[in-house]
Amino acid sequence: MKWIAFAQRNQKELLRDPISYVFCLGLPIVMLIVMTIINQSIPAVEGAPQVFRIEQLSPAIAIFAMTFLMLFVCIRVSSDRSTAFLTRLYASPLQSSDFILGYVLPFVLTGLAQIVITYAASEVLALIVNGESLPIGNMLLSVPLLLPSIVLFIGIGILFGTFFNAKAAPGLCSAVITGAAILGGIYMDIEAMGSSWKTVCSCFPFYHCVRYARLAMAGEFGDMLLPFAICCAFTAVIFIASILAFSFKMKSDKK
Amino acid sequence: MKTAIRTTGLTKTFGPKTAVDHLDLEICEGEIFGLLGVNGAGKTTTIRMLTGLSAITEGEASILGLDVSKDLKKIKPLINVSTQETAVAENLTVRENLSFMARIYGITDKEAMDRVISSLELEEVASQKAKTLSGGWQRRLSIAMALITDPKIIFLDEPTLGLDVLARRELWSVVRSLKGKVTIILTTHYLEEVEALCDRIAVMAKGKLRALGTAAELKAQAGKDTLEDAFVAIVEKEGTAS
Repeated sequence: MKWIAFAQRNQKELLRDPISYVFCLGLPIVMLIVMTIINQSIPAVEGAPQVFRIEQLSPAIAIFAMTFLMLFVCIRVSSDRSTAFLTRLYASPLQSSDFILGYVLPFVLTGLAQIVITYAASEVLALIVNGESLPIGNMLLSVPLLLPSIVLFIGIGILFGTFFNAKAAPGLCSAVITGAAILGGIYMDIEAMGSSWKTVCSCFPFYHCVRYARLAMAGEFGDMLLPFAICCAFTAVIFIASILAFSFKMKSDKK
Repeated sequence: MKTAIRTTGLTKTFGPKTAVDHLDLEICEGEIFGLLGVNGAGKTTTIRMLTGLSAITEGEASILGLDVSKDLKKIKPLINVSTQETAVAENLTVRENLSFMARIYGITDKEAMDRVISSLELEEVASQKAKTLSGGWQRRLSIAMALITDPKIIFLDEPTLGLDVLARRELWSVVRSLKGKVTIILTTHYLEEVEALCDRIAVMAKGKLRALGTAAELKAQAGKDTLEDAFVAIVEKEGTAS
């Protein structure tokens, strides 16, 4: 179980970086609060946007928080690759599968913690703002259901961290973070933006991630199946690509 | 004495450039063996091939009787490498770095850590994060991370590069303390370092082995009084010849 030692090292590196708390936990909660305040100022008339309502907002923010997870995976992988530390590990008995597992596991756990904290903050906000609780059962079921989305973003992070250096990779991740927010409909109603834009958004995984997260929160598990399956398919492709890319890069570094 | 490392016609090319050119070496167990050469001589590339970090283009290399090209999985637990650049996990403490390295090599001996910390005198910084250590301490930690895995062979690639005189001398005493216990392959630019530490020295230039022997043998071979003069004479003579 050599990979566990490597996973624990990566977990410690993440948890001891104060910036990771700001981005992975602080920023999503701030967004949650700010957008709830914005929603409070929108007149409750027919046709008013629903995306800022806490039950719509919290699953979307939970997905958005994962984009920062992607950023930190990417930074970890690209930083390791730029130092002699990874070279030293290449000369150790660690195999490529140990590296992948060691990178993925701590970030999956962090991702699950992010969802729990985001939903807990949402529950508090719902009680304050609406005076009523969010559907706790749906919320609890959502946590494991969002696992494919976590793995998707970790996969993107590994992919960028593998191919780009420590200077370029975070910039690319920032572009994906922005793209995920726009194309995923985190803070806008994609259904209301016309069919052409919806078609564009459907071509990317973010829209499906946000959609099934919202449907899971609403308890509409039947309707959730299709976007969930599409997200799983994207996750499988991206994650397999990231494993292949890392293994390829590991071999090509040895040439 | 048993052979720890043997290379026969070991060659590495990068496109048209030959980094290591038909290197023949035999290094005995327990020996401190110096690879000496100017920049681009092929020292680091040789170490990279022997540790499986670079593929061998041509020739053969064996470590403790195991073929580097075929038996790398069996070789890796028996060796360790301390690279030119600092290779430590920055946000982990000294103790955590050592524990991490021990675990990936499957070392479960709890006393090994205390032993290594004590032998490298790391007690005063054991709880400090690696990133807060000075360059000298980081190098010392890097060597400790190699030692904790109880390797039969350690590759030290320019271990004192960039260190001040005191830190260098301290590392020398660490390396000296390992004499006879572990086979050490040490690459360096510093002539006084190989003279102080190494049982035998291989002088490399332009990827080729130019001379091999003890410091005294190299001086005698070049007809010079100091190792520096001998080294310059060997490298320049071969440079003129080629």
